[in-house]
Amino acid sequence: MSAKRQAPVRKQASSGRKTPMRKPVAGTPGWVAPAAVVAGVALLVAAFLVIRWYMTPTPPPPLSSDSTAVVVNQITTLPSSEFESIGQGTANNLIKPVSGTPLTGATGKPQVLYIGAEYCPYCAAQRWALIIALSRFGTFAGLKTTSSSSSDVYPNTPTFTFHGATYTSQYIDFRAVETSDRDQNPLDTPTAAEQQLFNKYNPAGSIPFVDFGNRYSFTGAMYLPDLLSGASWQAIADELRDPRSAQAQAVIGSANLITAAICKTTSDQPAPVCSSAMIQGLEKKLG
Amino acid sequence: MALPRTQAAAILISVAGIAVSIYLTVLHYAGVVPACPASGAINCEAVLSSRYAVLGTTGIPTSALGIAWFAVSAALWTRPPGRMHLAWSAAGLVAVLYLVFVEIVVVGAICLWCTAAHALVVALVVLSLSPSGRGA
Repeated sequence: MSAKRQAPVRKQASSGRKTPMRKPVAGTPGWVAPAAVVAGVALLVAAFLVIRWYMTPTPPPPLSSDSTAVVVNQITTLPSSEFESIGQGTANNLIKPVSGTPLTGATGKPQVLYIGAEYCPYCAAQRWALIIALSRFGTFAGLKTTSSSSSDVYPNTPTFTFHGATYTSQYIDFRAVETSDRDQNPLDTPTAAEQQLFNKYNPAGSIPFVDFGNRYSFTGAMYLPDLLSGASWQAIADELRDPRSAQAQAVIGSANLITAAICKTTSDQPAPVCSSAMIQGLEKKLG
Repeated sequence: MALPRTQAAAILISVAGIAVSIYLTVLHYAGVVPACPASGAINCEAVLSSRYAVLGTTGIPTSALGIAWFAVSAALWTRPPGRMHLAWSAAGLVAVLYLVFVEIVVVGAICLWCTAAHALVVALVVLSLSPSGRGA
Protein backbone atom coordinates (compact mmCIF):
# COMPACT_ATOMS: atom_id res chain seq x y z
CA MET A 1 0.00 0.00 0.00
CA SER A 2 1.36 3.31 -0.96
CA ALA A 3 -0.95 5.51 0.97
CA LYS A 4 0.77 6.88 4.08
CA ARG A 5 -0.96 7.29 7.30
CA GLN A 6 -1.00 10.92 8.22
CA ALA A 7 -1.43 12.58 11.52
CA PRO A 8 -4.56 14.66 11.77
CA VAL A 9 -3.81 18.28 11.11
CA ARG A 10 -5.48 21.49 11.94
CA LYS A 11 -5.07 24.82 10.32
CA GLN A 12 -3.45 27.59 12.27
CA ALA A 13 -5.40 30.69 11.62
CA SER A 14 -2.48 33.07 12.00
CA SER A 15 0.35 31.46 10.12
CA GLY A 16 -1.52 29.04 7.97
CA ARG A 17 1.03 26.34 8.85
CA LYS A 18 -0.25 22.86 9.31
CA THR A 19 0.71 21.40 12.74
CA PRO A 20 -0.06 17.94 14.00
CA MET A 21 -3.12 17.89 16.21
CA ARG A 22 -2.45 16.32 19.60
CA LYS A 23 -4.22 13.07 20.02
CA PRO A 24 -6.52 13.38 23.00
CA VAL A 25 -5.14 11.35 25.92
CA ALA A 26 -7.34 10.34 28.81
CA GLY A 27 -5.79 11.90 31.97
CA THR A 28 -5.97 10.32 35.43
CA PRO A 29 -9.43 11.04 36.75
CA GLY A 30 -9.49 13.58 39.58
CA TRP A 31 -10.96 11.15 42.08
CA VAL A 32 -8.07 8.69 41.90
CA ALA A 33 -5.63 10.50 44.22
CA PRO A 34 -8.14 11.11 47.05
CA ALA A 35 -9.48 7.57 46.72
CA ALA A 36 -5.93 6.19 46.84
CA VAL A 37 -5.27 8.08 50.08
CA VAL A 38 -8.49 6.79 51.69
CA ALA A 39 -7.70 3.24 50.54
CA GLY A 40 -4.13 3.55 51.83
CA VAL A 41 -5.34 4.74 55.24
CA ALA A 42 -7.85 1.86 55.39
CA LEU A 43 -5.11 -0.65 54.52
CA LEU A 44 -2.79 0.72 57.20
CA VAL A 45 -5.55 0.57 59.82
CA ALA A 46 -6.19 -3.06 58.83
CA ALA A 47 -2.45 -3.77 59.15
CA PHE A 48 -2.40 -2.17 62.62
CA LEU A 49 -5.32 -4.40 63.68
CA VAL A 50 -3.46 -7.50 62.49
CA ILE A 51 -0.29 -6.42 64.34
CA ARG A 52 -2.35 -5.84 67.49
CA TRP A 53 -3.95 -9.26 67.18
CA TYR A 54 -0.52 -10.90 66.94
CA MET A 55 0.82 -8.90 69.88
CA THR A 56 -2.05 -9.60 72.30
CA PRO A 57 -0.76 -11.93 75.04
CA THR A 58 -2.72 -15.10 75.57
CA PRO A 59 -4.44 -15.44 78.95
CA PRO A 60 -2.06 -17.20 81.33
CA PRO A 61 -3.54 -20.31 82.99
CA PRO A 62 -4.40 -19.62 86.66
CA LEU A 63 -1.79 -20.83 89.14
CA SER A 64 -2.39 -23.84 91.37
CA SER A 65 -3.32 -23.04 94.96
CA ASP A 66 0.20 -23.98 96.11
CA SER A 67 1.88 -21.69 93.58
CA THR A 68 -0.62 -18.93 94.40
CA ALA A 69 0.25 -19.25 98.09
CA VAL A 70 3.95 -18.87 97.27
CA VAL A 71 3.35 -15.71 95.22
CA VAL A 72 0.95 -14.20 97.78
CA ASN A 73 3.42 -14.95 100.56
CA GLN A 74 6.19 -13.32 98.54
CA ILE A 75 4.30 -10.06 97.95
CA THR A 76 2.86 -9.81 101.46
CA THR A 77 6.17 -10.23 103.27
CA LEU A 78 8.14 -7.48 101.60
CA PRO A 79 10.71 -5.89 103.93
CA SER A 80 9.67 -2.57 105.46
CA SER A 81 12.94 -1.10 104.19
CA GLU A 82 11.60 -1.50 100.65
CA PHE A 83 8.42 0.45 101.45
CA GLU A 84 10.57 3.15 103.02
CA SER A 85 12.97 3.45 100.13
CA ILE A 86 10.25 3.66 97.45
CA GLY A 87 7.81 6.06 99.10
CA GLN A 88 5.29 7.19 96.47
CA GLY A 89 7.54 5.86 93.69
CA THR A 90 5.97 6.46 90.30
CA ALA A 91 2.40 6.02 91.55
CA ASN A 92 -0.13 8.67 90.66
CA ASN A 93 -1.88 9.85 93.82
CA LEU A 94 -5.61 9.53 93.06
CA ILE A 95 -6.75 9.52 96.69
CA LYS A 96 -9.10 12.39 97.55
CA PRO A 97 -10.56 13.35 100.94
CA VAL A 98 -14.32 12.81 101.21
CA SER A 99 -16.81 13.61 103.93
CA GLY A 100 -19.58 11.43 105.22
CA THR A 101 -20.67 9.29 108.13
CA PRO A 102 -17.64 7.18 109.11
CA LEU A 103 -17.88 3.86 107.30
CA THR A 104 -17.47 0.90 109.62
CA GLY A 105 -17.70 -2.84 109.08
CA ALA A 106 -19.64 -5.53 110.92
CA THR A 107 -17.12 -5.48 113.78
CA GLY A 108 -17.28 -1.70 114.16
CA LYS A 109 -13.78 -1.13 112.82
CA PRO A 110 -13.15 1.36 110.00
CA GLN A 111 -14.05 -0.27 106.72
CA VAL A 112 -12.18 -0.25 103.44
CA LEU A 113 -14.69 -0.84 100.63
CA TYR A 114 -13.53 -2.00 97.22
CA ILE A 115 -15.85 -2.23 94.21
CA GLY A 116 -14.39 -3.58 90.97
CA ALA A 117 -14.63 -6.41 88.48
CA GLU A 118 -12.42 -9.23 87.29
CA TYR A 119 -12.55 -8.15 83.62
CA CYS A 120 -11.32 -4.63 84.44
CA PRO A 121 -7.57 -4.13 83.70
CA TYR A 122 -7.30 -1.13 86.03
CA CYS A 123 -8.75 -3.23 88.87
CA ALA A 124 -6.21 -5.93 87.95
CA ALA A 125 -3.35 -3.48 88.36
CA GLN A 126 -4.69 -1.92 91.55
CA ARG A 127 -5.35 -5.24 93.33
CA TRP A 128 -1.60 -5.92 93.59
CA ALA A 129 -1.16 -2.69 95.54
CA LEU A 130 -4.31 -3.24 97.62
CA ILE A 131 -3.23 -6.74 98.66
CA ILE A 132 0.25 -5.52 99.60
CA ALA A 133 -1.09 -2.54 101.58
CA LEU A 134 -3.93 -4.41 103.33
CA SER A 135 -1.53 -7.20 104.30
CA ARG A 136 0.32 -4.69 106.47
CA PHE A 137 -2.86 -4.44 108.60
CA GLY A 138 -4.16 -8.02 108.43
CA THR A 139 -4.17 -11.30 106.56
CA PHE A 140 -5.81 -12.54 103.38
CA ALA A 141 -6.94 -16.11 102.81
CA GLY A 142 -8.35 -17.72 99.70
CA LEU A 143 -6.91 -15.33 97.12
CA LYS A 144 -6.93 -16.87 93.64
CA THR A 145 -5.11 -15.79 90.50
CA THR A 146 -6.97 -14.51 87.47
CA SER A 147 -6.37 -12.07 84.62
CA SER A 148 -8.33 -9.20 83.14
CA SER A 149 -10.51 -9.60 80.06
CA SER A 150 -8.92 -10.74 76.81
CA SER A 151 -11.04 -8.30 74.83
CA ASP A 152 -10.54 -5.12 76.86
CA VAL A 153 -7.61 -2.71 76.88
CA TYR A 154 -4.43 -4.05 78.51
CA PRO A 155 -5.77 -7.56 77.88
CA ASN A 156 -5.01 -10.50 80.18
CA THR A 157 -3.32 -8.38 82.87
CA PRO A 158 -2.30 -10.91 85.57
CA THR A 159 -3.87 -10.30 88.96
CA PHE A 160 -5.81 -11.88 91.83
CA THR A 161 -9.51 -11.87 92.55
CA PHE A 162 -11.11 -10.83 95.83
CA HIS A 163 -14.15 -12.98 94.99
CA GLY A 164 -14.20 -15.83 97.51
CA ALA A 165 -11.26 -14.45 99.50
CA THR A 166 -11.43 -13.50 103.18
CA TYR A 167 -9.55 -10.87 105.15
CA THR A 168 -9.02 -10.56 108.88
CA SER A 169 -7.48 -7.64 110.76
CA GLN A 170 -7.62 -6.22 114.23
CA TYR A 171 -7.54 -2.68 112.83
CA ILE A 172 -9.89 -2.58 109.83
CA ASP A 173 -12.61 -4.44 107.98
CA PHE A 174 -12.24 -5.02 104.29
CA ARG A 175 -15.25 -5.55 102.05
CA ALA A 176 -14.65 -6.40 98.39
CA VAL A 177 -17.29 -6.53 95.67
CA GLU A 178 -16.23 -8.04 92.35
CA THR A 179 -19.31 -7.29 90.25
CA SER A 180 -18.35 -9.46 87.23
CA ASP A 181 -15.94 -12.20 86.24
CA ARG A 182 -13.37 -11.78 83.46
CA ASP A 183 -16.01 -12.65 80.86
CA GLN A 184 -18.38 -10.05 82.32
CA ASN A 185 -20.74 -12.58 83.89
CA PRO A 186 -22.29 -11.30 87.16
CA LEU A 187 -20.48 -12.20 90.40
CA ASP A 188 -21.05 -10.14 93.55
CA THR A 189 -23.73 -7.52 94.15
CA PRO A 190 -23.09 -4.43 96.27
CA THR A 191 -25.60 -3.69 99.01
CA ALA A 192 -27.90 -0.70 98.56
CA ALA A 193 -25.73 1.29 100.99
CA GLU A 194 -22.54 0.38 99.10
CA GLN A 195 -24.14 1.30 95.80
CA GLN A 196 -25.16 4.64 97.30
CA LEU A 197 -21.58 5.35 98.38
CA PHE A 198 -20.32 4.32 94.95
CA ASN A 199 -22.73 6.75 93.27
CA LYS A 200 -22.03 9.53 95.76
CA TYR A 201 -18.23 9.56 95.58
CA ASN A 202 -17.89 8.28 92.04
CA PRO A 203 -20.53 9.93 89.82
CA ALA A 204 -18.70 8.78 86.67
CA GLY A 205 -19.20 5.16 87.78
CA SER A 206 -15.54 4.20 87.18
CA ILE A 207 -13.95 1.07 88.63
CA PRO A 208 -12.03 0.23 90.68
CA PHE A 209 -13.59 2.34 93.44
CA VAL A 210 -12.08 2.26 96.92
CA ASP A 211 -13.53 4.00 99.97
CA PHE A 212 -11.41 4.31 103.12
CA GLY A 213 -13.96 4.63 105.93
CA ASN A 214 -15.66 7.55 104.17
CA ARG A 215 -12.60 9.69 104.83
CA TYR A 216 -10.80 9.14 101.54
CA SER A 217 -11.67 7.47 98.26
CA PHE A 218 -10.23 6.95 94.82
CA THR A 219 -11.24 5.53 91.46
CA GLY A 220 -9.02 4.09 88.76
CA ALA A 221 -5.50 2.72 88.88
CA MET A 222 -2.49 4.59 90.20
CA TYR A 223 -0.31 3.18 87.42
CA LEU A 224 -0.95 1.81 83.94
CA PRO A 225 -1.65 -1.92 83.68
CA ASP A 226 0.76 -2.33 80.75
CA LEU A 227 3.53 -2.45 83.34
CA LEU A 228 2.36 -5.99 84.13
CA SER A 229 1.53 -7.02 80.57
CA GLY A 230 2.74 -10.43 79.44
CA ALA A 231 4.45 -11.22 82.78
CA SER A 232 3.68 -14.21 84.98
CA TRP A 233 2.55 -13.74 88.59
CA GLN A 234 5.86 -15.13 89.78
CA ALA A 235 7.83 -12.78 87.53
CA ILE A 236 5.89 -9.79 88.86
CA ALA A 237 6.39 -10.96 92.45
CA ASP A 238 10.13 -11.25 91.77
CA GLU A 239 10.23 -7.74 90.28
CA LEU A 240 8.43 -6.38 93.34
CA ARG A 241 11.37 -7.54 95.49
CA ASP A 242 13.66 -5.22 93.54
CA PRO A 243 12.97 -1.61 94.67
CA ARG A 244 14.61 -0.27 91.52
CA SER A 245 12.25 -2.11 89.15
CA ALA A 246 9.54 -0.16 87.35
CA GLN A 247 6.95 -2.57 88.75
CA ALA A 248 8.06 -2.02 92.35
CA GLN A 249 8.18 1.75 91.92
CA ALA A 250 4.56 1.74 90.69
CA VAL A 251 2.98 -1.05 92.74
CA ILE A 252 4.75 -0.40 96.06
CA GLY A 253 4.31 3.35 95.54
CA SER A 254 0.55 2.76 95.17
CA ALA A 255 0.57 0.44 98.20
CA ASN A 256 2.24 3.16 100.29
CA LEU A 257 -0.43 5.72 99.31
CA ILE A 258 -3.16 3.22 100.24
CA THR A 259 -1.35 2.45 103.49
CA ALA A 260 -1.26 6.16 104.35
CA ALA A 261 -5.02 6.47 103.70
CA ILE A 262 -5.74 3.44 105.90
CA CYS A 263 -3.47 4.80 108.66
CA LYS A 264 -5.59 7.96 108.62
CA THR A 265 -8.70 5.89 109.35
CA THR A 266 -7.07 3.78 112.08
CA SER A 267 -5.61 6.73 113.99
CA ASP A 268 -2.15 5.60 112.90
CA GLN A 269 -2.47 2.02 114.11
CA PRO A 270 -0.45 -0.19 113.99
CA ALA A 271 2.39 2.09 114.96
CA PRO A 272 5.17 0.07 113.32
CA VAL A 273 3.46 0.66 109.96
CA CYS A 274 1.90 4.09 110.38
CA SER A 275 4.54 5.94 112.36
CA SER A 276 7.23 5.73 109.71
CA ALA A 277 8.41 9.10 108.42
CA MET A 278 7.56 8.06 104.88
CA ILE A 279 3.92 7.15 105.69
CA GLN A 280 3.56 10.30 107.80
CA GLY A 281 4.78 12.31 104.85
CA LEU A 282 2.25 10.67 102.53
CA GLU A 283 -0.53 11.25 105.09
CA LYS A 284 0.26 14.96 104.92
CA LYS A 285 -0.01 14.80 101.13
CA LEU A 286 -3.47 13.24 101.39
CA GLY A 287 -4.68 16.25 103.37
CA MET B 1 -16.83 37.50 47.13
CA ALA B 2 -17.96 34.02 48.08
CA LEU B 3 -15.26 31.39 48.51
CA PRO B 4 -15.21 28.45 46.12
CA ARG B 5 -17.03 25.44 47.51
CA THR B 6 -13.87 23.40 48.20
CA GLN B 7 -12.29 26.19 50.22
CA ALA B 8 -15.48 26.83 52.16
CA ALA B 9 -15.81 23.12 52.95
CA ALA B 10 -12.17 22.91 54.07
CA ILE B 11 -12.60 25.91 56.38
CA LEU B 12 -15.74 24.37 57.89
CA ILE B 13 -13.93 21.07 58.44
CA SER B 14 -11.00 22.90 60.04
CA VAL B 15 -13.34 24.76 62.39
CA ALA B 16 -14.97 21.46 63.36
CA GLY B 17 -11.48 20.07 64.04
CA ILE B 18 -10.66 23.05 66.25
CA ALA B 19 -13.90 22.48 68.20
CA VAL B 20 -13.18 18.77 68.79
CA SER B 21 -9.57 19.50 69.79
CA ILE B 22 -10.61 22.27 72.18
CA TYR B 23 -13.17 19.91 73.77
CA LEU B 24 -10.50 17.24 74.35
CA THR B 25 -7.99 19.80 75.66
CA VAL B 26 -10.46 21.33 78.11
CA LEU B 27 -11.43 17.87 79.41
CA HIS B 28 -7.75 17.00 79.83
CA TYR B 29 -7.08 19.99 82.04
CA ALA B 30 -10.37 19.48 83.91
CA GLY B 31 -9.42 15.85 84.56
CA VAL B 32 -12.72 14.67 83.11
CA VAL B 33 -13.26 11.76 80.74
CA PRO B 34 -15.31 12.56 77.60
CA ALA B 35 -18.70 10.99 77.01
CA CYS B 36 -17.61 7.71 75.43
CA PRO B 37 -17.82 3.96 76.20
CA ALA B 38 -15.20 2.91 78.77
CA SER B 39 -14.76 -0.79 78.18
CA GLY B 40 -13.86 -2.94 75.23
CA ALA B 41 -12.26 -1.71 72.02
CA ILE B 42 -13.90 1.71 72.16
CA ASN B 43 -12.43 3.33 75.24
CA CYS B 44 -11.63 7.04 75.32
CA GLU B 45 -10.51 6.81 78.95
CA ALA B 46 -7.82 4.24 78.12
CA VAL B 47 -6.49 6.33 75.24
CA LEU B 48 -6.68 9.70 76.93
CA SER B 49 -5.12 8.45 80.17
CA SER B 50 -2.24 6.74 78.37
CA ARG B 51 1.21 8.28 78.35
CA TYR B 52 0.78 9.02 74.64
CA ALA B 53 -2.05 11.48 75.31
CA VAL B 54 0.51 14.13 76.25
CA LEU B 55 3.59 15.44 74.47
CA GLY B 56 6.54 13.71 76.09
CA THR B 57 6.92 14.82 79.69
CA THR B 58 5.48 18.28 79.11
CA GLY B 59 1.96 17.46 80.25
CA ILE B 60 0.63 19.30 77.19
CA PRO B 61 -2.18 17.23 75.68
CA THR B 62 -1.78 16.01 72.10
CA SER B 63 -5.13 17.63 71.36
CA ALA B 64 -3.48 21.04 71.87
CA LEU B 65 -1.37 20.28 68.81
CA GLY B 66 -4.63 19.48 67.04
CA ILE B 67 -5.95 22.97 67.81
CA ALA B 68 -2.81 24.51 66.29
CA TRP B 69 -2.87 22.25 63.23
CA PHE B 70 -6.55 22.89 62.42
CA ALA B 71 -6.12 26.64 63.03
CA VAL B 72 -3.25 26.83 60.54
CA SER B 73 -5.29 24.71 58.15
CA ALA B 74 -8.28 27.07 58.42
CA ALA B 75 -6.01 30.05 57.73
CA LEU B 76 -4.39 28.32 54.75
CA TRP B 77 -7.72 27.48 53.13
CA THR B 78 -8.79 31.13 53.11
CA ARG B 79 -6.30 31.41 50.24
CA PRO B 80 -6.54 29.63 46.89
CA PRO B 81 -5.32 26.02 47.11
CA GLY B 82 -1.73 25.20 46.31
CA ARG B 83 1.24 23.10 47.28
CA MET B 84 1.31 24.50 50.81
CA HIS B 85 -2.17 23.09 51.45
CA LEU B 86 -1.05 19.69 50.22
CA ALA B 87 2.15 19.73 52.29
CA TRP B 88 0.29 20.80 55.45
CA SER B 89 -2.36 18.11 54.93
CA ALA B 90 0.34 15.48 54.33
CA ALA B 91 2.03 16.44 57.61
CA GLY B 92 -1.32 16.10 59.37
CA LEU B 93 -1.91 12.71 57.79
CA VAL B 94 1.47 11.41 58.98
CA ALA B 95 0.64 12.54 62.54
CA VAL B 96 -2.78 10.89 62.33
CA LEU B 97 -1.30 7.60 61.15
CA TYR B 98 1.14 7.64 64.07
CA LEU B 99 -1.67 8.34 66.55
CA VAL B 100 -3.89 5.61 65.08
CA PHE B 101 -0.93 3.22 65.36
CA VAL B 102 -0.56 4.13 69.03
CA GLU B 103 -4.29 3.70 69.65
CA ILE B 104 -4.65 0.32 67.97
CA VAL B 105 -1.27 -1.36 68.46
CA VAL B 106 0.11 0.16 71.67
CA VAL B 107 -2.94 1.05 73.78
CA GLY B 108 -5.35 -1.41 72.16
CA ALA B 109 -8.33 0.92 72.22
CA ILE B 110 -9.99 3.53 70.04
CA CYS B 111 -11.06 6.94 71.28
CA LEU B 112 -14.16 8.07 69.39
CA TRP B 113 -13.44 11.77 69.83
CA CYS B 114 -9.86 11.33 68.62
CA THR B 115 -11.17 9.35 65.65
CA ALA B 116 -13.51 12.23 64.79
CA ALA B 117 -10.50 14.59 64.67
CA HIS B 118 -8.53 12.05 62.61
CA ALA B 119 -11.38 11.71 60.12
CA LEU B 120 -11.46 15.50 59.72
CA VAL B 121 -7.73 15.50 58.91
CA VAL B 122 -8.26 12.78 56.29
CA ALA B 123 -11.15 14.81 54.84
CA LEU B 124 -8.81 17.82 54.48
CA VAL B 125 -6.21 15.61 52.78
CA VAL B 126 -8.87 14.40 50.34
CA LEU B 127 -9.93 17.99 49.62
CA SER B 128 -6.35 19.10 49.04
CA LEU B 129 -5.89 16.24 46.56
CA SER B 130 -9.15 16.83 44.70
CA PRO B 131 -8.89 18.63 41.33
CA SER B 132 -10.41 21.81 42.74
CA GLY B 133 -8.27 21.55 45.85
CA ARG B 134 -5.12 21.35 43.71
CA GLY B 135 -6.14 24.49 41.93
CA ALA B 136 -6.84 22.57 38.71
